Amino acid sequence: MKELDPLLHSQLRLAVMSVLMNVEEADFVYLKEKTESTAGNLSVQLDKLSATGYISVEKGFVGKKTRTVCRITITGRKAFEDYVDALRDYIGR
Amino acid sequence: MNEKHLTEKESLEVITAMIARTKLRYTLGDGNIMLMWGYLSVAVSLAVWALLCYTHHNAVNWLWFAIPIVGGIVTPLMRRSRRCDFGAVSYSDRLISRMWTIVGFSFLFLTLVCFAFIFIADINCWTAMLVYSLIAVPIAETVQGIALKERSMLWGGVMALAVGMFTLCCAVGGVRLAASWFMPLFILAFVVMMIVPGHILNHKARKAK
Repeated sequence: MKELDPLLHSQLRLAVMSVLMNVEEADFVYLKEKTESTAGNLSVQLDKLSATGYISVEKGFVGKKTRTVCRITITGRKAFEDYVDALRDYIGR
Repeated sequence: MNEKHLTEKESLEVITAMIARTKLRYTLGDGNIMLMWGYLSVAVSLAVWALLCYTHHNAVNWLWFAIPIVGGIVTPLMRRSRRCDFGAVSYSDRLISRMWTIVGFSFLFLTLVCFAFIFIADINCWTAMLVYSLIAVPIAETVQGIALKERSMLWGGVMALAVGMFTLCCAVGGVRLAASWFMPLFILAFVVMMIVPGHILNHKARKAK
């Protein structure tokens, strides 16, 4: 039986990955709104996902405001698919 | 939402909830870009038609270039602000955006070909632009309607494409596209293809909010 990826087996990180699986890119405000999280917590979790290479984070400017855009990477997509497979195994047990 | 660890059932619930929340955006449309192109095309067509009637001067046709120039400048600005307002870009957004970019470049290329015909062979083939605009734009519109599951765009595109087919047959068959009947048809095609669906999309977006 496959192990559940500990990095994804957390509420907020899983929510972020689920959102990013459905869109090509999403900015920080959109992720915060969809996951109903706090800015501080979301920022920490995005750093963790980015450090593992599951997502790419691009910081830019729109006018004078900063805009952080996140995208899921190929590694992240594969990890998410493996996680869902493992989940299916656990539930079907 | 926090960093708490989950049971398998809770994991599934999180995934399902996030899919549902991001799915909502596919039903929300922003018809402003379509409305801008629709009204711009109709306004320029009316201006060309009116000026042709009053002046009978072919130089008036240069006004057609206002459509790609104004639209080409305003569209990227509107697209950028929409992306920032919305916060996410979906796969269908990307597909639609690239499709319209290709349509835009094909018009640019056709313009160059028409200029080449004039300067090299002294042949006026600007009618090709009108025919092409009633073929390429409706096809793109129909594809966008299918991608967004928006019937008004799909049917608007199909109706405009029918006008395009008719225009193509006229052009190939040597029937003169006289302003008196062709311009109203051209305007009508852009109204059903862009203005009506644009307002419907905006209405749906407002209702969904």
